[in-house]
Amino acid sequence: MNQTPESVAEKTGAMFEGEDIIIRVRDLHTYFFTDLGISRALNGVNFDIPRGKVMGVVGESGCGKSVTALSIMRMVTKPGRIVKGQITFYRQDRATGKQVEEIDLTSLDPNGPKMRSLRGAEMAIIFQEPMTSLNPSYTIGDQIMEGIILHQKVDAAEAERRAIDILDRVGMANPKLVVKRYPHELSGGMRQRAMISLALSCNPSVLFADEPTTALDVTTEAQILDLMRELQAQINQTIVFITHNLGVVAQMCDYVSVMYLGRVVEQATVDDIFYNPKHPYTSSLLRSIPHIGSRTKERLQPIRGVVPDPYSKIKGCPFHPRCDKAMRGICDVKVPGLTMIGKNHSVRCFLHSDVVEETANVQ
Amino acid sequence: MSNEMTINRDELLLEVKDLKKYFPIRRGLIRRSSGVVKAVDGVNLFVKKGETLGLVGESGCGKTTAGRTILRLYTPTGGEIRFNDPKLGWVNLEKMDREELKKVRPNMQIIFQDPFSSLDPRMTVERIVSEPLAINNIGTPAERHARVAELLRIVGMRPEYMSRYPHAFSGGQRQRIGIARALALNPKLIICDEPVSALDVSIQAQVLNLLEDLQRDFELTYIFVAHDLSVVEHISDRVAVMYVGRLVELAKTEELYYSPKHPYTEALMAAVPKPDPRRRDRPIKLPGEVASPANPPSGCYFHPRCRYAKEICRTQTPPLLEVAPEHYSSCHFANELNLRGVL
Repeated sequence: MNQTPESVAEKTGAMFEGEDIIIRVRDLHTYFFTDLGISRALNGVNFDIPRGKVMGVVGESGCGKSVTALSIMRMVTKPGRIVKGQITFYRQDRATGKQVEEIDLTSLDPNGPKMRSLRGAEMAIIFQEPMTSLNPSYTIGDQIMEGIILHQKVDAAEAERRAIDILDRVGMANPKLVVKRYPHELSGGMRQRAMISLALSCNPSVLFADEPTTALDVTTEAQILDLMRELQAQINQTIVFITHNLGVVAQMCDYVSVMYLGRVVEQATVDDIFYNPKHPYTSSLLRSIPHIGSRTKERLQPIRGVVPDPYSKIKGCPFHPRCDKAMRGICDVKVPGLTMIGKNHSVRCFLHSDVVEETANVQ
Repeated sequence: MSNEMTINRDELLLEVKDLKKYFPIRRGLIRRSSGVVKAVDGVNLFVKKGETLGLVGESGCGKTTAGRTILRLYTPTGGEIRFNDPKLGWVNLEKMDREELKKVRPNMQIIFQDPFSSLDPRMTVERIVSEPLAINNIGTPAERHARVAELLRIVGMRPEYMSRYPHAFSGGQRQRIGIARALALNPKLIICDEPVSALDVSIQAQVLNLLEDLQRDFELTYIFVAHDLSVVEHISDRVAVMYVGRLVELAKTEELYYSPKHPYTEALMAAVPKPDPRRRDRPIKLPGEVASPANPPSGCYFHPRCRYAKEICRTQTPPLLEVAPEHYSSCHFANELNLRGVL
């Protein structure tokens, strides 16, 4: 903690000591140009995703969690657009484990051959609501096989064999029957397993899980989380776990990025986030939830106010209107920069460093 | 639950006996009935004045149907619903017609889960909140206007907002409007049907605190239907657990969470991901899925997933019995098993 604060935007080394970074995001801005104005969904996101680890992305709705995943996957569609920033993907050869390529994803055409060869094969996404993200007019088998045939260049019979195999691996009962079923014939938990199979079918090195268990009951949620843990351990997959459920974060993640209004406000190990949170937003988020098994009937401490709408512009630190520790004349004037305050801990708050973000729009 | 003699009936607000609500499954062109979904299948419970009774269970277990049937939004298939009305005394709701219900209804209100679909988008906040008053012919328009302003202040909203439409508000504010509407007639009992599950975590805390304040200020009794066990632990005095239309356990919150007497409760508690990275215990594996209420298994409905199941569980339905003082469980082995609660 004695080192001088270092701005993450200028930092070249990894944000996490001893970790191999698979994806690095710097100063990412994704805006949506709507009739109501410009919605700055991502307003300078900086973070590192360590290879083979589970990273949680938490925050309230509208903070940009999902748009971050979609931006990395290059799946942001009109009226949205990546306005600036870098997303670097360090591709490794599966067999040798050697880094073979450094790809700047922002420079690629989202529908071009390069991006299409990565999407599905190297990175995949699981959505929150499997009913709306599976195609209702194709069978589960067809949907899984599509990616396998496209990326692995095998014939339909082999693809079906692999689809059945992957369904079996995610614990689906009767996989041979399920490949012939349509999404509406499955229960919520089975649909989510099918969605996971779809995402895992080509063994992607990074899996984005966007609220994968939010629509499920607790006992089903426990089954799915267990499954993801097992798969992660077996194939050393990198998982980016997007959720607002702090319980899921505590149980699943190695590292956590806390987002607020399109920015990462704190990034640290899961233990530091829960036991040594530095950003007032992180600590208020932890205080506002009822903890099961606390035995106390203490009053909850809500964060005052609401997340402002994304069209509004807030001068200074975006959290200062809701922050109990806001310093007048500082927090409402300048935007703090994301700063390393420990080996694995970065925070964007003037209570901990005086680094100002120069790139922030001041107008 | 035959031993409610231990409880003074004057302290009770509601008593539900063997409540059943079946929905017919209709198939084919002529909508022929081809079976029934036993959404609520013999629920027994009582609610004390001023308490919060949590009603938990997984989706499809019948907790919402139970809540709505208690309010007579559905007509029960069988059983009794007895309500201790402040003016009329004990009344049976299950057989009442529209006119009779109108006398009791002001005392029983509901807050819905989805604050987006439970407010009419074409009505102003004033009309939404004053509608219960208008229906019951209470007050002049001017008095109603004043009452709406008062109600909005009570739920922490500015009275100026009453001329706006629901779309102008956030989820948390809409839920406050729904709460103001439920309070309009000074009810005794409010059924809160997943009132915070559609809200962001920080807003959840605001609404939960508001519900607690209102309960204290207006001596309200809540039946709090939810699937989030952390929220239910926080707000409830007693908790009832439902599984496939039946009550499997009912006890004081602490007892139910720390010394459960039903294997389903144990599994449910273990499945909740704890917000503490230093306590990463693997949950109890609960195989399979919730049984279908259209085609439930024999005996104890939970036996196909229960790791303690024995032969008797396959054949005999366990009744809900008082296995410890004010602790009810419907498990053949409630007092033999040593079950794990929340650690």
